[in-house]
Amino acid sequence: MSTVTVRIPTPLRPFTGGADAVRVEGETIDEVLKTLGAAHAGLLERVISPQGELRNFVNIYLGSENVRVLNGLSTTVSDNDVVSIVPAVAGGAAKDNRLAELKAIIPEVTPAEAVKLQQQGAVVLDVREVDEISQGSPVEACRLGRSYLELRVEDAIPDTRRTVLVMCGGGARSLFAAEAIMRLGYKDVRSVSGGFSRWKNDGQPFEIPRILDASARERYSRHLLMPEVGERGQLELMDSKVLLIGAGGLGSPAGFYLAAAGIGTLGVVDDDVVDRSNLQRQILHTEARVGRSKVASARETLEALNPAVNVVGYKTRLDSSNVDEIFTGYDVVVDGSDNFPTRYLVNDACVKLNIPNVHGAVYRFEGQVSVFWPAWKERRGPCYRCLYPEPPPAEMAPSCAEAGVLGILPGVIGLLQAVETIKIVLATGDPLVGRMLYYDALRAQFTEFKLDANPECSYCGEGVTFPGYVDYEQLCAASNT
Amino acid sequence: MTTLYLPQSARRELESMVHADYPLETCGLLVGQQSNDHIRVSGVVQAQNLNKERAHDRYELAPQDFIAADTEAQKAGLEIVGVWHSHPDHAARPSEVDRESAWEGWSYLILAVKHDGVHDMRSWRLVSGHFVEESIEPCPQ
Repeated sequence: MSTVTVRIPTPLRPFTGGADAVRVEGETIDEVLKTLGAAHAGLLERVISPQGELRNFVNIYLGSENVRVLNGLSTTVSDNDVVSIVPAVAGGAAKDNRLAELKAIIPEVTPAEAVKLQQQGAVVLDVREVDEISQGSPVEACRLGRSYLELRVEDAIPDTRRTVLVMCGGGARSLFAAEAIMRLGYKDVRSVSGGFSRWKNDGQPFEIPRILDASARERYSRHLLMPEVGERGQLELMDSKVLLIGAGGLGSPAGFYLAAAGIGTLGVVDDDVVDRSNLQRQILHTEARVGRSKVASARETLEALNPAVNVVGYKTRLDSSNVDEIFTGYDVVVDGSDNFPTRYLVNDACVKLNIPNVHGAVYRFEGQVSVFWPAWKERRGPCYRCLYPEPPPAEMAPSCAEAGVLGILPGVIGLLQAVETIKIVLATGDPLVGRMLYYDALRAQFTEFKLDANPECSYCGEGVTFPGYVDYEQLCAASNT
Repeated sequence: MTTLYLPQSARRELESMVHADYPLETCGLLVGQQSNDHIRVSGVVQAQNLNKERAHDRYELAPQDFIAADTEAQKAGLEIVGVWHSHPDHAARPSEVDRESAWEGWSYLILAVKHDGVHDMRSWRLVSGHFVEESIEPCPQ
């Protein structure tokens, strides 16, 4: 029996308690290695295969000779020989396979592991194309197309320390996508191996997400590019129901742009017919439609612009008997009314039904916009009655027919109402709650006034019982904007 | 995360060896000490690349050079703490070939080299079968 010194390379030293050399007895290399293995569990498997052969990423040297060129594992040893375990050190740029390179640096997880990590707070990032996602996507996945991934991921996943599990169709594209977002600073990025096809086969939970069809995608492409809207926001707009009070000077521009923006349902309340004098500002109507109902005319224009919008016409005058029925189910009311009885009725119904009331009014070269929404969670603002508990006498409230209005003025104000409406639907930005924006066209100035709620308000005050609707119709004569 | 401390002199030596052999891959060993997450390089050794056939994108370090470097290191109270190699006209990221042949417990320093010199230098360690990048610092703190 000979005693030899076995040199242990750094990567195997954890098995020898850190020792760089170990004295071992044996007659052959095979015996030496087995004795070594018996004394240091785990080491032998790294060197010898289960079939008892020397692994091909390890060489054993006896002195300066590779035992492969001697007698292999049967090579005999003598006292004080030095046996070196030499790890094969190899590699290279291997330029022919980029995908394989990525596999080397991006950890992969199975769909089952991904679901578990998801429960622990990780996010599944589905980078497939829209037509693939429409066939199904993991529940609660963040769906960003590969082409805009780098532009959108930071908005979708602001925390770069969050574990991101990138998923594609088969597990290859996700490696490229994972590399791209790692470059943006995401610390823990993994790829879901086998992609969605394996996800589905393994029975992991998925859903058929609601997504925009190709024509909607094209129509709203400029919205989709904006992080504040995006696909989710556009779907919210398409799900929303907005009621326009009046298809006149304010309702025309507001309704026109809201239809263009893709509001799902646009209700239009108006009992009037188109008059030639309306056409100076009421751009939903046309010369040819003079004498026809405004609701029918508005519908024709809005549907021509965007056939996807469901236009619901109410050819009636709003009063206390029909206001509840008409308002119920709408998300936002855009008040373009031209008379106080209607304005109070709109206010009271919106307070009662908890609907934000986007208010607009114009007078010659001036206009004002606000959002009356006492129930808004972020800030307590007034309702219209907090400011004006009762309507003024009829002679103090001139209509456009009496006072005149610059035709473009309701265009400006109606569009500000449309913008506020969109913001409310998307729950983005700061709406004009508790604020009044006043526009002076002659000075070309916008001024903001703070509006305070009246805690004693008989309609929106704390703990008050809804006092009921008032028909002011008999008090003041109706007139047209 | 582990940190590889690479002295300026060693860095310059590596850059000149790698550039001199361009467009062929070249390889060698990092000699030094490691404790916990700190790997301190005190010297770099160049080794022969046995892969002559694909020397532009593969390397196979000569075992004799390994044994010689290991013996020298041991005499100096040091050890082999990692491997370095060049990627001519390629990024300083490990390839699948690198991963298949890598050992846990060593640093793998990769130098991206072009005709005009070294452009990037990154160091990696194998953790549970995947390469994780480690930081490179100029000198021990």
